[in-house]
Amino acid sequence: MRSFFRTLPSRALLPAAAALLLGSCEMLEFSPNDHRGPDRQQDLTAKNLARLNQNPLPAGDTLRFVFTGDSQRFYDEAEDLVKSVNQQADVQFLIIAGDISDFGFGREMRWVDDHLRKLKIPYVTVIGNHDSVGNGRKAYEAIFGPLNYSFAYGDTKFIMTDTNGREYNFDGKIPNMPWVNQELRDTSTRRHVIISHVPPQDEDFDPAVRDAYVTALRNDPRLAFEMNGHRHDFSIGEPFNDGVTYINSYGFEKRQYLIVTVWGDKQFRLKKVQF
Amino acid sequence: MVQRLLLAALAAAPLAALAGPNGPATLLPDTTGTTPTTGLNPAPAQAAPADPLPWYRPRHLVAQTGGGLGMVAAGAGYSLKDRLDLDILIGYVPRKYAGSRLSIYSAKLLYSPWTLPLGKTQKWALRPLMVGGYFSYTHGTLNDEEPNQYYRGYYWFSTDTRVGPLLGSRLSYALPPTAKGRSRNVSAYYELGSNDLYLISYVQNLKGLSPIDILTLSLGLKLDI
Repeated sequence: MRSFFRTLPSRALLPAAAALLLGSCEMLEFSPNDHRGPDRQQDLTAKNLARLNQNPLPAGDTLRFVFTGDSQRFYDEAEDLVKSVNQQADVQFLIIAGDISDFGFGREMRWVDDHLRKLKIPYVTVIGNHDSVGNGRKAYEAIFGPLNYSFAYGDTKFIMTDTNGREYNFDGKIPNMPWVNQELRDTSTRRHVIISHVPPQDEDFDPAVRDAYVTALRNDPRLAFEMNGHRHDFSIGEPFNDGVTYINSYGFEKRQYLIVTVWGDKQFRLKKVQF
Repeated sequence: MVQRLLLAALAAAPLAALAGPNGPATLLPDTTGTTPTTGLNPAPAQAAPADPLPWYRPRHLVAQTGGGLGMVAAGAGYSLKDRLDLDILIGYVPRKYAGSRLSIYSAKLLYSPWTLPLGKTQKWALRPLMVGGYFSYTHGTLNDEEPNQYYRGYYWFSTDTRVGPLLGSRLSYALPPTAKGRSRNVSAYYELGSNDLYLISYVQNLKGLSPIDILTLSLGLKLDI
């Protein structure tokens, strides 16, 4: 009886102490805007690109990647998407066209990574408007990496850029056209693909920068197509009737994704996969 | 799986503490005891009743870390019948952890149904269960809705205002009473919590998220004044 009382603190506090040891750093959250996390979940863009480069694509080989977007608050679907993508043969990597998180919290970005790191292939992202809320941009930078970046794989240069103009209250600087133009001028690869979250025909794209962006794309002879998320549904077309193809991704909740195959100068094929 | 078991253990810990061989009745003093004031009643230190304090005077000081309320958060609070605590805290998060320097203003309300005296000296006491919730407002976030930035209802959630549940335990040690005879304790506590947006994320993704994903932990100290 008395010994029960004497051991009582340890009985009550032992599970707490165990929890403390297991996950205290992540659980001792200073704020939902706190973007600290384990080292393995920092700089994920660089880590995934390093993985991609371990399997280089020889010049002239066909490029094949999975294209999806808007994983925000769809964790059940993320689990199923990973299972489905892991059954695809010959896909080289996966792209999420923004809105990794719903509230711009680091923990949400890590939850998505908890699933996507189970992919057999590397994945890369571009920032979405929901990732920009509050201190989301800082969380994205810490967990994924730069808001504007590019990488070459095989014959293709992928240009990933922040087009979430409304999140900057339409300051006339998003997308960053000097950077975009510089990237498009690069002639070291056979073709270009530019990927961002908000499509230029959308009301969340800064209207003051729309013409400059659309014109720059039209004038790039290497551009195969432009890709976006944000609308949560697939579409393909030439919204500006200028010969430039714009492709929009499914959101995770649509339980579909695209497999994009690219060859030749600009030839491509899209395959829809349900999961 | 291990995490789910751990979570269950955490949730059950306060109950396990209560479920002695003979149930809660064993918490009453045993037959050799002669002090009817112990048992379920709080305040192991048996000081004489002091002058009543004015209602507005805080009864304790608090300092804690984590729980989404700051790297450090400090404040003061009130107690009702030693069971219901209302704490008002101001928290701070440096730029390097959150991208900007944040101040977090919060209020916590916690109810502790039981206070268990521990040991012969009655210096120690355990509140095995504290249950309650918090409200917090964060100042200093970077992209924080300027006028006309969004149309009405663009984002349905608040970036800066959070509410969430809390569950914890608290261990107290009786300090010598004050000069005026009021009993005083210093306590250490932990609280497990979450917030509205984490909870919504979990409830809609019972397969894709585990309960421990959405938990936050606070560790704190409380000093009666």
